[in-house]
Amino acid sequence: MRVPISWLSEFIELKKSSEEIAEILTLSGHEVEEVFDPYKKLGDLISVKILEVLSPEDLKEVVLCRVTDGKETFSVLTTAKDQVKPGLILALAKPGSLTFSHQKVEVKEIKKYRSEGMFLSPFEAGISEIKDALLVFPEDTPLGKSIYEILNIKEPVLEIAITPNRGDLLSIYGVARELNLICGWELKPLSFEESLLKGEPFEGEIKILEEEGCFRYIGRLFKGVKISESPFFILKRLFLCGLRPINNIVDITNYVLLELGQPLHAFDWEKISGKKILIRRAHLGEKLLMLDGVERTFTEEDLVIADSEKALVLAGIMGGEDSGVTENTQNIFLESAWFNPKWIRLSGKRHRLTTESSYRFERKVDPEGVLFGALRATELILKITEPSEISQIVDVYSRPFKSPLIEITSQKINKILGFKIEKSFIEATLKKLGKLQTEGDTFKLRPHSFRQDLEIPEDLVEEIARLYGYDRIPATFPVAELKAKASRLELQLERKIREILKGFGLFEVITYSFINPETLQKLNLSERDERLKVIELENPISSHLSVMRTSLIPGLLEVAKFNSAREVEDLSIFEVGKVFFPDTELASEFTHLAILLKGEKKLLPWEGYKRKYDLFDLKGILEELFSALSLEVEMRPYSQELFLKKGFSYDLYLSGIKIGFAGAMKNYVLESLDLKKPLFVAEIDLSKIYTLYSEVKRTYTIQKPPKFPSTFRDISFIIDKEVPYGEILSYIKGLEIPYFEKMELIALYEGPPIPEDKKSITLRFWFRSEERTLFDDEVNALQDEIAKKIFAHFKAKPR
Amino acid sequence: MKPEEIEALKEKAFKEFSEAKNLTDLESLRVKYLGKKGEITQALKSLKNLSLEEKRIFGSKINELKELLEELYQERKRVLLLEEEDREKGIDPTLPGRRPDRGALHPLTLVIEEICEIFTRLGFEIVTGPEVESDYYNFTALNIPEWHPARDMQATFYLKNGALLRTHTSPMQIRAMLEKTPPLRIIAPGKVYRCDADVRHSPMFHQVEGLMIDEKTSFSDLKGILSFFAREIFGEKTRVRFRPSYFPFTEPSVEMDISCVICEGKGCRVCSQTGWLEILGAGMVHPEVLKAVNYDTTKWQGFAFGLGVERIAMIKYEIDDIRLFFDNHLYFLESFK
Ligand SMILES: [Zn+2]
Repeated sequence: MRVPISWLSEFIELKKSSEEIAEILTLSGHEVEEVFDPYKKLGDLISVKILEVLSPEDLKEVVLCRVTDGKETFSVLTTAKDQVKPGLILALAKPGSLTFSHQKVEVKEIKKYRSEGMFLSPFEAGISEIKDALLVFPEDTPLGKSIYEILNIKEPVLEIAITPNRGDLLSIYGVARELNLICGWELKPLSFEESLLKGEPFEGEIKILEEEGCFRYIGRLFKGVKISESPFFILKRLFLCGLRPINNIVDITNYVLLELGQPLHAFDWEKISGKKILIRRAHLGEKLLMLDGVERTFTEEDLVIADSEKALVLAGIMGGEDSGVTENTQNIFLESAWFNPKWIRLSGKRHRLTTESSYRFERKVDPEGVLFGALRATELILKITEPSEISQIVDVYSRPFKSPLIEITSQKINKILGFKIEKSFIEATLKKLGKLQTEGDTFKLRPHSFRQDLEIPEDLVEEIARLYGYDRIPATFPVAELKAKASRLELQLERKIREILKGFGLFEVITYSFINPETLQKLNLSERDERLKVIELENPISSHLSVMRTSLIPGLLEVAKFNSAREVEDLSIFEVGKVFFPDTELASEFTHLAILLKGEKKLLPWEGYKRKYDLFDLKGILEELFSALSLEVEMRPYSQELFLKKGFSYDLYLSGIKIGFAGAMKNYVLESLDLKKPLFVAEIDLSKIYTLYSEVKRTYTIQKPPKFPSTFRDISFIIDKEVPYGEILSYIKGLEIPYFEKMELIALYEGPPIPEDKKSITLRFWFRSEERTLFDDEVNALQDEIAKKIFAHFKAKPR
Repeated sequence: MKPEEIEALKEKAFKEFSEAKNLTDLESLRVKYLGKKGEITQALKSLKNLSLEEKRIFGSKINELKELLEELYQERKRVLLLEEEDREKGIDPTLPGRRPDRGALHPLTLVIEEICEIFTRLGFEIVTGPEVESDYYNFTALNIPEWHPARDMQATFYLKNGALLRTHTSPMQIRAMLEKTPPLRIIAPGKVYRCDADVRHSPMFHQVEGLMIDEKTSFSDLKGILSFFAREIFGEKTRVRFRPSYFPFTEPSVEMDISCVICEGKGCRVCSQTGWLEILGAGMVHPEVLKAVNYDTTKWQGFAFGLGVERIAMIKYEIDDIRLFFDNHLYFLESFK
C-alpha cells in the first residue's frame, strides 16, 4: 500500500518527518518497507544545455540537437522545432528512464541520426498540466542534475505492508485515522454536504437478489458527463500510488478507492438493459468477457451485477468489457457497495483474479464508508465531468451492520499480558476504538464499523498492548513445572548417525524433497519398483522439482553433478531426510540415510598415497557405523538393485528384513548422468531400524588387560579363486578351536606363480589361555589341526 | 701420592670430563681415569707403600674422588646422549601432517541443533511431524479458513493426491496439543515448503516452531523467553525489539527484531539501514486454535512462535544467498568444519 505523505497530510496534521512516521507505523504493527520518491524512480531526468541545433535535409519533422550534460555531449531528436535553440537549458529524459505518463525512453534512430533521450514538457516531467511547451530552466542552472533536485520537488511515499486483518488501512484516510489513534494528531473528519444526497428520482431499479453476497448497494446516475483525461492533480496522485490513468470517470473511482478504501464501479448506463441493476448469483455456465480481455465462465457460487438480461460485472472483482465507460459514454451509473468478503475471496480464487477492488473487499470494507465513497465520487464527478443531471442516491441496505459487543475485564487483560496495566489507560484506549461502557472492572465495547478486525476480547488485548507499546511491557521468565522428556529415540539415532559419519570425514548435505523424475528414471528401476510410484506436485516451480522423492539417491547424484561442474570431483557426502510414498491420506513418510563416495580418497598424495574410493571404503563405513549403533546388519553380497554393479554390491539385512543397499553405481547409469566413475552409494531406511534399535541393549563387553601372553600362528594356503573369503570365515567360525582368541586375514595374493584359477591366502590365528602361558608344542598342534581341516574342507593346498 | 697431587688430579679430571665433546671422548676419559689401568687405580695402587694411617686417609680421599668422577661421568654422558639426539638430522617438519578425516554437518543442522539445545535447556521437548499435511492442520485448525486472505501470505504447494506440503511448522502446534495434555512445552524443527524461489526465498526451507501452554504463561513471559533465546544464539550484546504483527493463529501477535549483528544497529545494507533484523513471529495462542484442540480457553493459555532457520543461519554466518544451502558445494560445506 502506497501512501504519499502529501496526500496523507490533507487529512491529518503530521507532526513528524516521513522517516519518523515510517518508524511509528512500523512499531505499531504496520511495517513500512520503504520510504521512496516515485519521481526519483523514473530514472535519469536531468538538465542539459543545447549546444547547437541542426536541420539535416533528410529529416523533415524533426531537428537534431547537440546537447551536453556538463560532461558528455550527445544528440537528441525533437519535434519541438520552434522551441529549441542553442544555449537553452532543458529537461531531458535519458534512455532507460520513464516519463510521468509511463512512457519508456529508449535510444531512437531515424535514418542515420541517433536520439539519446527525450526533451520533457512540464507535463511529461510530472510538474504541471502544460503539455505544449518544453520545460525550460534559467540560464544559470547547473547541468546534469536531477530536474527534481533543481526544482526542489520531493514527494516521499510510504510503502506499507498492511496485514490481512487491517483492511481499514488500505486507504490514505485509513492510515490518517490510524495515526490519529497512535499519536493523537488531529484528524480531519469526513463530512459531506447534505445536498449531495439529493437529485432527480432514479429512473432505474436496484435489487439485491442475494443478500448473503451483498449487504449494501448504493447507486447513482449521472447524465451528460464529459469523458476526457483527468485533471493534473488526479493524474499526479494516481502516479504517486502507482496506478495508470484511463479516463476521468475511471480515474475518479480509483482516486476514491485510494483515498477512502471504498471500491467503486462505473457503468455505461446505455449498456444496461431494462434499466435494471440486479445483484444475484451467476447462472451455472454464464459467461462474461471481462476488462482484462479474458472471457470467464461463472458458477452459481459467483456473485454478479446483472441487468435484466446478462451479467455485467463479477461483483467486487472486475467489470465486463461491454458495460465499461469509454470515451463515447454520456450517462454513467455509479456503484458503491459492500460485498461479503468470503464470497469475493472465493470467487477471486476460483478465477485466479485479484484486483485493487477485490483485495479491499476481501479484507472487509467499512459498511458506513460505502456512502462516503459514493458522495466523495459525486463531489469529484460534479467538479470534473460537469454532468447535466444527477439522480438521488439510492441506498439498498436491508440489514444494517452492527459491530459485535465485546466484553472484557481488566483481570483478563492482566492475565494475558502478565502484568498490571492501569485501568485508566485501558479505558482511554478502548474509548478510541468504539462505543464503550464501563462497569467496574468490566468493559463492554462496540467497535467502530471500520474496525471489523476487533471481534473477540483477545483482539482488544492486542490493541491495548499495542497502544501501550510492546517495548514497555516487561520481559519475565515463566514459572513452570521442571519436567521435560528426552527427545524421541528416532531423533537421538539420527543425531548419532550424523555425528558418526561426520567423524568418518563425510559431509552432510540437505537436498530438496522434490526431485526431477528424469533422474529417477535414469536409475533403470524395474517397472514394478515402488520408488516409481511418486507423489506428483500439482504446482511445481519447475519440472526439475516436480515429484516427491522416494529415494535420496537422485538428490545426492545431483549434488555430485553440481560439484563436478564446479571443480570438485572427490566427494564423500551423506544425507538424512524423508522420502514420500503415496498413502490413502497424506503420505507415508520414512526417514532414510544415504551415502555417496566419489573420486579419490583424501590421503597424503605427496607421500605417494593416492587412490580412488573402492567398495571396501563404503563397506567399512557401514560396518563401523552399525557397530557403533550395536546393530548386527548383514551385508549380503550381490544387491538386487539394477543400478548397482552386481559384483560390487550388497543388500543390507537386519533381523531378516531388508533395510537398504550399498555398492558401486553401474557405469551405464553414471554415463547417462554425466558423472565420472567410480561412484559408490548406499541407502538405508532408518525407520526400519528404529524399532530394532530401541530393543538393542547398549551394554558393553568389558575386557581386562591380559594376564598371560598370546601366541599366533600363520596358515598359508592356495585355494580356488571362486571361494569367497566370507565362506572361509564362516567355516572357521564354526570350528571349535581351543584357546582361540581371534583371526585376521593378513595376505591375499593372486598371480604368478600361483595358477590362474587359484589364490593364496594367509590367515593369522591368535591363541591365549586365561590360566597360563601356552606351550609352543600345543599351539603348533592346534595350527596343524586347523590347517588340515581347512585344506580338507576347501580342497586347498599348503603354500 | 701427596694430597696436593690428588687435588691436581681432581682438577684435571673435572676439567677434562666437562670438556668432553662427544661420547667417544668421554669413553676414553672414563678409561683414562676410571679404567682398570686408569689414573685412579694407579693412585690407589701407589698407596701400598704408605703407612696404615696414611693409607686410610689417602685411600678414602681417592675413593671419594673416584665416586665423584663416576658421577661426573654419568652426568656428562646423560648430557651428551641428549645432545647427540638433537644433532640427528630431522625431516622437513613443515610438510603437511597426516590428518584424520573430519567432515562437517550442514550449517542448517548446526543452527537447528543450537536452537533445540537452547530450548531443551528451558525444558522444551523436541517433537516432529509430517511434511505432507492436510489443509485442515496446515490452515483451518490454525484459524485460517479457506476464504481467509492470510492464505496469500503462504504460497502453497499442492500434491496431486489433494494433500499439501506444509507451509509452516505451525501444524505441529495442533498435532502436539492433540497428542498431549497441557501443560506442555514443545519445540518442533522441520522442513517447510512454499512455491517461490529467488535469492531470498527457497521452495524448501526450515522452521522451528515453539509452543508453551499452561495456566498462566503470559505475553511478558513470551518476551522474556524469546529475548533470552536471542541473546543465547546471537550473543549477550544483542538487543531485541518487539513489534505488533498479525498471524491468524495468535492474538496478540508479535514480531521480534534483533539489533543488526553486522553493524550493531548503526544501519547497513544487510538491515536496509534500519539497524534491525526480523527474526521471528510469535504471539499468544489464539482462542480459536485452543478450541480446535478442545482445550478449555478459560483455563489454558500460552504462547507460540515460529522462526526461520535459514534466516538465522544467514545472519549468524553472514551468508547472502539462500541457494548456497541447497547447492551443497563442497567448498561451502567445508566452511563449517
Ligand atoms: Zn545492519
